[in-house]
Amino acid sequence: MEAIRTVFSPKAVVWILVLIAAVAVPPIVGGYVTSMLILIAIWTIMCFSMNLIFGYTGQLSLGHSAFLGIAAYTFGLITVKLHVGFWPAFFIAIVFTGLVGFLVGIPALKLRGPYFILVTLGFAVIVGVIVLGWIDLTGGANGLFGIPRPNPIPLPGGATLRFDSLLSMYYFILFFVVLIGVFCHRLVHSLIGKRFIAISYNENLTESLGINTMSQKLLSFTISAILAGIAGVLYATYNAVISPELTHFARGMDVVAYLIVGGAGTMAGPIVGTLVLMAVPEVLQVLPYLKTLINGIILMLFILFLPNGIIGWFNANLGRRFTSRRAVHGSA
Amino acid sequence: MGILNVPNFAQGHLYMVAAYLGFYMVMSYGMNYWLALVLATVALGVFGLVIYGLVFHRMRNAPEVNLFVAAMALLMVLEGIALYFFGASTKWFLIPFTRRVITFIGLALPVQRLIIIVGTLVVMVLLELFIKKTAVGAALEATAQHREGAMLCGIKVTRISAMAFIIGTGLAGIAGMLIGPAVLLEPTMGMGPLLVAFSAIIFGGLGSVGGAVLGAFILGLVESLASGYVSAKYSLIFVFGIMILMLLFRPKGLFGREVWRP
Amino acid sequence: MALLEVAGLTKMFGGLTAVSELNFDIQPGELLSIIGPNGAGKTTLFNLLTGFYRPTSGTITFNDIDITGCKPYQVTRHGIGRTFQLTSIFKKSTVLENVLIGKSLHAAVGVWGSVLRTPATRREEQKIRKKAREILAFVGLGDKEDKVAGGLTEEAQKRLSISMALATDPKLLLLDEPTGGVNLEEISGLIELVGKIRKSGTSICLIEHKMRMVMTISDRIVVLNYGKKIAEGAPKEVASNNEVIRAYLGERYAA
Repeated sequence: MEAIRTVFSPKAVVWILVLIAAVAVPPIVGGYVTSMLILIAIWTIMCFSMNLIFGYTGQLSLGHSAFLGIAAYTFGLITVKLHVGFWPAFFIAIVFTGLVGFLVGIPALKLRGPYFILVTLGFAVIVGVIVLGWIDLTGGANGLFGIPRPNPIPLPGGATLRFDSLLSMYYFILFFVVLIGVFCHRLVHSLIGKRFIAISYNENLTESLGINTMSQKLLSFTISAILAGIAGVLYATYNAVISPELTHFARGMDVVAYLIVGGAGTMAGPIVGTLVLMAVPEVLQVLPYLKTLINGIILMLFILFLPNGIIGWFNANLGRRFTSRRAVHGSA
Repeated sequence: MGILNVPNFAQGHLYMVAAYLGFYMVMSYGMNYWLALVLATVALGVFGLVIYGLVFHRMRNAPEVNLFVAAMALLMVLEGIALYFFGASTKWFLIPFTRRVITFIGLALPVQRLIIIVGTLVVMVLLELFIKKTAVGAALEATAQHREGAMLCGIKVTRISAMAFIIGTGLAGIAGMLIGPAVLLEPTMGMGPLLVAFSAIIFGGLGSVGGAVLGAFILGLVESLASGYVSAKYSLIFVFGIMILMLLFRPKGLFGREVWRP
Repeated sequence: MALLEVAGLTKMFGGLTAVSELNFDIQPGELLSIIGPNGAGKTTLFNLLTGFYRPTSGTITFNDIDITGCKPYQVTRHGIGRTFQLTSIFKKSTVLENVLIGKSLHAAVGVWGSVLRTPATRREEQKIRKKAREILAFVGLGDKEDKVAGGLTEEAQKRLSISMALATDPKLLLLDEPTGGVNLEEISGLIELVGKIRKSGTSICLIEHKMRMVMTISDRIVVLNYGKKIAEGAPKEVASNNEVIRAYLGERYAA
């Protein structure tokens, strides 16, 4: 009963429409738009990752670009140099990234506020330095080439699912976006998610209620590192080429901008923010090197006047229509 | 190598911006060096005032994270502008001193480095005197320690915060002018020193100027040694490694004060 | 056997001694009040007991376990709950959610269970929700569970913060000025609640300024001044103690 009511609530209807659009649009609009959408999808996953650790747990990490890079390079290296198969490599890359996330989180999360941010930033810089400098391993500034697409998957009924085409990659990545979206949604609405949110509101109070905030923060951080890793692997397999530029902290800052503009701490925020900040410059044919500048200006305007982002503003003003339940506790 | 360190004052306002601005001013060549130094400092101070008024003052009640995001946005804007006006290629900041080397008891000392060291010491001493000996300095300390308490004492917290910020940007101006001639210029040059500066602050202990300076020297030494013995590329890693170790074992740093918990 | 034993507890902040050589205990089932002029170190004491400050020296023993130097969440898990002087609740969340967080330390939930919505996780969440509702009813906020916490009256917010602490299932509840900012009529309601909590078996340690209240409901009183204990005993004893009178000389409380 409850399930049926939820499925037909206004919010759910919007999500379903969006999903239908996401599935139906690319075949119609052709290659350029589809490749744009692919990139948007990948960065949306990154944005979900940031949303978890920042939007919901309140810790701003500027180091997540490093996780994306680590996963991409791990995946790239073991497929290209060690000829490991796609799926095992995917798994290994992600587990490794998660492990690194865990290890980095342990010292980093002992700090609060700006110091945490700085340390994560430092981590991103270090990873960048290593990736750039370890030329034997990573190819340095030249990048890593020849990263394969997913292996063809045999389907029941004799056909195989091949991933050579742009469209097939799009759906492949879209699949992950949806999967991760659902994952985040469920996590955030569960008791664990509520703990994260409590930590973001008042860490001391949460701790006084018996919750080991360190372990919860670590959990959130590790999961978000893994999500960033997934984005990294997907980027690597889509692009076939990766370069140290990926790990640059500026990418991390861009993602934060997407998140804040969209609305941190909401489910739709990451999607809206990434879409807007990535698509609009393309549409307006803005010169690439102005991107950082424009992102910065937009971010500044938003953080001053609309710190809750587009969806945040939506919730506050039209909330009655779109919030199917009373939740003010950080949901879209 | 005396990296000019900006101590963390009122409310952890963001010196990421300051380091960035430092770079900016370094580009004003064509003037007498010392004059340019003064002008840069003043210009940055003014810029700091403007930024404070437009941005940080409005956000004084916002959650701390938002302030950081604002600073980050500022950084992006500045980087973008720098990229646009100056291009991504690196530039040399040439002044009469850059190439000159003094030979002193058998050691070849690049003059610019000497200027940096002396300049840093002078600024440190002045800063220390300012904080410890003047009324304003005391007000700064008070505000940093407990904002509400300071307000109750009649301290105009807004003005003090603005001042702290402006001092920060001014110092960044000095830093930029001092260090600029010694290194290559590119839009992201502020990042490295900034990170090391913050490492130094964490290493030396929050709230302790002396500790931060000591931290800066130690870390600067580490970086140089690492550059020399291991590899210049990886020297930063050693610096961070030490900071991370410090965090794991003694989060307060060498001389840090106890954090105020409500 | 004492529930809580404090021995030689000292806390110094740089040159300032906030608390000095405190010795006292709390017996199971009793209501102990801590009183003293402002700045006497009462809240510092609570912070020490709950692990927010590390003692400079001294020990804290709870239920025969040494909890000196434990982190706050560990202290809570040992069975000490606490409210704060500045009402600490999650203002942006609903009343029910506030208590859910308080109860969540007992929840056996994991990431996979939560994401896959396994029956076990769902059962656990139901259980926690039920307990949270019980606590809200106990505290008198049962009909407000969906209201946003920040919109409640000061008194209701105090009740909420108490219910959150209760959710952690404490054997000892530390209440830091639970009637602060509450008007006269509402005080008796809160006192009733405190009595109810006592009856359900939880020992209570109270910091309060309202003398009449303290005198009426306490089993014993500890008086602090400048971080030192200057008196201890039953209300009547303490009220006639010269040191205490001197400490409070010139101040009158209307409660």
